[in-house]
Amino acid sequence: MQTLQRRSDAWLGITLLLSAMVHMAAFLGITWLQGLSPDPGQLQTTYYVDVVNLPVASPQAGSPTPAPDNTDQPQIASAPQAGPMMTPAPTAASDGKGPKSDSQTFQERMAKLEGKAAEQRQSAALESLRQKVSGGRPGMPGASGSQTGSDYTAYLHSRLKDAFRDTIQYQSKTPFVVVRLTIDRDGRVMRTRFEQSNNDKVFEKSVQRAIELAEQRIVPPPGRTTYEGTFVFKPQGVLQR
Amino acid sequence: MENMLSLAGIGPVVLGVFIILIFFSVVSWAIIIFKLIQIHKANSESVRFMDFFWKTKRFDTIAAQADRFSSSPLVMLFNEGYSELKQLMDAEGKQDQAGVSTDLGGVANVSRAMRRATNQEVNRLEKYTTFLATTGSASPFIGLFGTVWGIMVAFEGIGRTGSASLAVVAPGISEALRATAIGLIAAIPAVMAYNHFQHKIRVLVKEMDSFSTEFLNIVQRNIAGK
Repeated sequence: MQTLQRRSDAWLGITLLLSAMVHMAAFLGITWLQGLSPDPGQLQTTYYVDVVNLPVASPQAGSPTPAPDNTDQPQIASAPQAGPMMTPAPTAASDGKGPKSDSQTFQERMAKLEGKAAEQRQSAALESLRQKVSGGRPGMPGASGSQTGSDYTAYLHSRLKDAFRDTIQYQSKTPFVVVRLTIDRDGRVMRTRFEQSNNDKVFEKSVQRAIELAEQRIVPPPGRTTYEGTFVFKPQGVLQR
Repeated sequence: MENMLSLAGIGPVVLGVFIILIFFSVVSWAIIIFKLIQIHKANSESVRFMDFFWKTKRFDTIAAQADRFSSSPLVMLFNEGYSELKQLMDAEGKQDQAGVSTDLGGVANVSRAMRRATNQEVNRLEKYTTFLATTGSASPFIGLFGTVWGIMVAFEGIGRTGSASLAVVAPGISEALRATAIGLIAAIPAVMAYNHFQHKIRVLVKEMDSFSTEFLNIVQRNIAGK
């Protein structure tokens, strides 16, 4: 009887090996499937560099927009992208706590900076819109050749932002959608094209609902022309492109 | 590969929970496969052995061929009963020469030997199934512990950063909930397999009891007929 029992138990080693192999295969399969989804971290990186290196516009300093012949500002903003991008701590440590090497702290700081950047951009766009609507003042940013379009873009952005606040939903970690909108002369959305997305269907639906909601409130473009604009929808809000 | 390495960023406690649960899952599946093979062979060879037993009239012929059904628990019972019976017959031959009869005591000896063999076979069939029961009952709790711990860590992170947005909270909680998911993935098949094996073993035990009764009846008839 002991001989038979030992012979039977020998099977257990084989099944254990088989089970481990099946589990490993399942794990690799899941990893491979997750690897098929696009990397959502690319926009974050670009965003982070812009935020850290761009000089923050102060309301007391005058216009956040440089004069037309002044081309130094974008160079300052884009120069650190080629440099050591992984050393943000000395620049970003404005809260006085000092640099931390911990990757979690780095991620948290990136999220904070992203939120701050979105707010700054939105407030700058709104401020610009208000100034232009009120006729402008001496010393403030002047109008460019595309002033009408820019005003309408800011207006549209504001409507989309308000609508998106009511509809936002997502299930992936960092969803984003780049949408190209075409507005006809009557102020109706003629065409909505999703140019880029991280394939978060819930997020895409919420963006679609926000556009439909905003469509009910928007006015026709100035001069009764067809308007086209691109907007980036993220959990932090809506950005103009 | 990047996703695999990202597991390293989930904290030592939750990572430990993952490892424990994966260990439980691997071992329980190994036992499930092993027991499926073992019980299937025991069932099929028991059926074949019973056919052979009723067709063959002589115990010594059956004993000579019993190795063909080595996975059947009934064969073990037969071997134990037959060897006890042989000893009884040998002893009876010596006692007959001395003029003493031990008929009833001999049947009781065979019965005890077969009962002992039944117990051994039940132990063999039930071996390792307790691990399945443990996996089924403990894995969800271990997974839940990992989830609770992961959520605690996530909330600590919220407290540190001061940001409670969904983008900050959701990834940590999502990672933590994976522990519960893995716990359930390990537990559900283990519980199902445990119940299935318990049923199959109960059926085999009943077959062994029936066979023991039949075997003892045959032995008693032969002794009474002498």
